[in-house]
Amino acid sequence: MALPLKYNYRNVLIRWRTTLFTVVGVAAVVSVVILLKALAKGIESSSARTGEPGNILVVRKGSQAESGSLVTRDQFRTLQFFEEIDRNAAGQPVVSAELVMIINAPRRAAPGSANTLIRGVTPRGLELRPKVTLVEGRWFQPGQREVTVSKKLAGRFEGFEVGGIIRAGPDRLRVVGLFEAAGSAFDSEAWMDADEARAIFDRSEMYSSILLRPRDEAAMRSLTNRIAQDKRLGLRAEPETEYYSKQTATAVPFNILAGLLGTAMSVGAVFAAMNTMYANVASRTREIGTLRVLGYSRAAIVVSFLIEGVLLSGLGGMVGCALSLGIYAYVVARGVTFGTMDFQSFAETVYQFRVTPDLMALGLVFSLVIGLIGSFLPALRAARLPVISALKSL
Amino acid sequence: MSSADSQGTPSPSERRQRASGITIPGFVLKNALRNGRRAMLTVLSVAVSCALLVTLLTLQRELTVPPESEAASFRIIARNKVSLAQPLPARQRSTIEKIPGVRQVSPFTYFGGLFRDETTTSWAQFAVDPARFRELILEGKIIEGSYDAWVKNRNGCMVGADTLRRYGLKVGDKLRFTGTFYPVDLELTIETVYAGTIDDRNCFFHHALLDQLMDDWGMVGTWYMMADSADAVDGVIKGVNAAFENTSAEVRAETERAFQLGFVSMFGNVKMLFGSISAVVVFTLILVCVSTMSMAIRERFRELAVLKALGFRRRELFAFILAESFGLSMLGAFVGIGGAWLFWSTINLQKLSQGFLVYFEVTPRIMATGGIVAALLGIVAAIGPSVSVARMSVVSGLKTLD
Repeated sequence: MALPLKYNYRNVLIRWRTTLFTVVGVAAVVSVVILLKALAKGIESSSARTGEPGNILVVRKGSQAESGSLVTRDQFRTLQFFEEIDRNAAGQPVVSAELVMIINAPRRAAPGSANTLIRGVTPRGLELRPKVTLVEGRWFQPGQREVTVSKKLAGRFEGFEVGGIIRAGPDRLRVVGLFEAAGSAFDSEAWMDADEARAIFDRSEMYSSILLRPRDEAAMRSLTNRIAQDKRLGLRAEPETEYYSKQTATAVPFNILAGLLGTAMSVGAVFAAMNTMYANVASRTREIGTLRVLGYSRAAIVVSFLIEGVLLSGLGGMVGCALSLGIYAYVVARGVTFGTMDFQSFAETVYQFRVTPDLMALGLVFSLVIGLIGSFLPALRAARLPVISALKSL
Repeated sequence: MSSADSQGTPSPSERRQRASGITIPGFVLKNALRNGRRAMLTVLSVAVSCALLVTLLTLQRELTVPPESEAASFRIIARNKVSLAQPLPARQRSTIEKIPGVRQVSPFTYFGGLFRDETTTSWAQFAVDPARFRELILEGKIIEGSYDAWVKNRNGCMVGADTLRRYGLKVGDKLRFTGTFYPVDLELTIETVYAGTIDDRNCFFHHALLDQLMDDWGMVGTWYMMADSADAVDGVIKGVNAAFENTSAEVRAETERAFQLGFVSMFGNVKMLFGSISAVVVFTLILVCVSTMSMAIRERFRELAVLKALGFRRRELFAFILAESFGLSMLGAFVGIGGAWLFWSTINLQKLSQGFLVYFEVTPRIMATGGIVAALLGIVAAIGPSVSVARMSVVSGLKTLD
C-alpha cells in the first residue's frame, strides 16, 4: 500500500522554511540553464529563419562565410547569363551580386564601438528576400550615399536612426529607412546599393557573393553541379537556407557554458537537496517508525520520500521556469536585443533570446532529476530505520 | 596552564571549561562534526560552488583581459578608420616613417587562411616585412632555424612554438593555406620558430609574397609600429592619425593594448553575462549555507537552551554558531578553490579548447575573491540562527522537541 500524496505535500508545506530554501536554490539553477540555452536558441533560430527555399548562394570555394568570400566581376559576368536562372516579370535574370563589408560604429548604450555588417545589394537582391520589409522611411537611392538599416541595429548603434549619419571613413552615409527581417540574420545588417558600396570600399573588381534563383528544382540541381564542376570558376553554390543553417558557430560557447554551469550547479543543488531530505528523515524518525508499525512497507516509505524530494525540486523547477519566462516577457516588452561577435565575419550578430516550451521542459526535467538523485539516499535511510529504536527516539 | 591561573582569578568561562574538560574549540568542532554526513554535504556544496565561482571569474578574465606584455605598450597598431576589414594603401608607409618618434614600421596583414583541410581558421597568419619585423617583436626568441634564412626566403615563414607542437611540425615542413579573405592560396616553408611572446601560435610570412600573388595589390591590412620610447607613444599616435586625416583612407592608430581591449569588447557584454551568473551562484550558495546552518541549530535548540540556563551569554552562543558556520564554509572554500586551482593548472586546456583558451590562469586575486565570498557566507549564515537563539527564552527552548 502506498502512502497518500497528501502526506508528502503537507510535510513540504509545514516545513516551509527549509522548503523555501531548497525551492529557491533549485529555481536559481534551473533559470540559469534555461536563460543561457535561450541565448543559444536565439542565435540558432536567427540562422534557421534566414534564406528563401528556392534561392542559391554562390561563394568562393573554401570560404566559410560571405564576409570571407570574394567573387570577381568576371565570374559574375559569366554566371549571370546561365540559362538555369529564373527571370522576373521585366525579363531580367533574378541574380544579385553583393558586397558584404564591415564598418566600425559607436555603440548607443555602452561605451566603445563594434563592427557591423554593411551589405551592398541590388534591386534583384530585394526581390530575392521577400521577408525583409520596410517599416519606416524608404529604401536607399543608388548614387545618393544612402542606407536603409535594420530596425534592431538602429537600437544598438549611434547614428543608425532615420536621418542619422553613418561614417565610413571619409564618406558619410545617410540613413533613410528602417527594415525588419523577421528575426533572420539580415536583422544584423545595413543595406546600400552594391555598386556604390564597391566604390566607397575600394572593391572595384570584387563582390563577396552572388544570390540567385533558379527556374525550378531541376535547374537548381544542374546549376549547382555546373558551378561545382567548373574548376576555372572556383566557386561553390549551395541553397541559401542550408548555408545559413550552418552559421551557428556563435551559439556554441553559450551551449558549452550552459552545459558546464548546469552540471556544476546541479551537483551543488543535489548536495543541498540531500541535506534537506536527510534532515527531514532525521526529524521524522518516530513518524516513520509509526508508519512501519501501521503496516506500510519499506518500499512504500522509499517511494514516499522520493516523491517528496521530487515534489520539492519540481516546485523549484516550476519557479525557475516562471522566473525565466518573466525575464523573457520583460525582455520582449522592452525590445531588448543581444549582440555577440561572430568569429567568422568579425561583426556583431544581433539576436533575441528565446525561451521556448522545449527549454522549459528541459528545465523541469532537470529539476526533477536533481530531486530524484538528491532524495534517493535519504529515502533509503528512512526505509532502513529499525522500527523499535525509531519509535523510542525523540 | 593559562596565564589567568597564575593570577588566581580564572574567568567564569574558563572555570566552566575546566570543570567539564571540554575546551571551546573542541566543543565547536564536536558540534560541527556530530552529524558527519551533513557537515560533509555542506562542505561539498560550498566547495562545488566556490570551484564554479573561481572558474567563472577565470573565464571572464581570460575573455576580457588580454595578457599584457611590456613591449605592447611601445607598440602601436594603425587600422583603417572604417573597420579592421578595410585595407590601407601601402604608400602610407613612407609618410609614417617620417613621423617623429617612429622607430620601425611594418605592414601587418591578417590572412585568415584555412590550414590544410581544416574548415575553420584555427590559428592566425600575418603577412609582414621580415626585415623590419625583427625589431617589433622584442620579446620573441628564435628557438629553431634562423631568422635570416626566413628573411632571405620569400616563400618561408616563421611559426610559433605552440603551433609547432600542436601539429608536430618541424623546420623545413611545408604549410598549405587556403585563402578566405584573399582569393589566393599560400604554400609556405617553415624557416624559423619563435617563442616567448604572449601568443606563440601565429604564422608570419613575407608581405611581398602576398603582394605578388595578388598582382601588386598595393594595400596592407594594418600598420604595426614601434615608438622610440614610452614617452613618444602619444605623439606617434597623434601624428599618424593627423597625417591621413581627410584622405581616402583615414587611419585610426592606438597602442597594441588599446587595440586588444577594443577587439575584446566586441565579444559583447561578456562582463555582464558572467557577472550576473556569478551573482546567481553566490546567491544559491548563501541559500544552501543558511538553510544548513538553521537546520543544524534547530536540531540543537534544546541544548542551546541548556547552555543558556547554565549561564552562557548570547555573545558566547553566537560565537559558537559563528565559529561552526565559518569553519564549515572556509573548509568548503579551501577544498573548492584549491581543487579548481589544481584542476585548471594541471590540465592542458589550450589543447582541449583547440587554442581558444590559452592561459586560464587562476590568479591569487580570483582565489582571494572566492575566499572572501566564502568568509562572508559563513558569517551571513550564522546570523539567522543566532538571532533566533538569542530571542528564545530558556523555558520555551527547553520545551522544544524538534
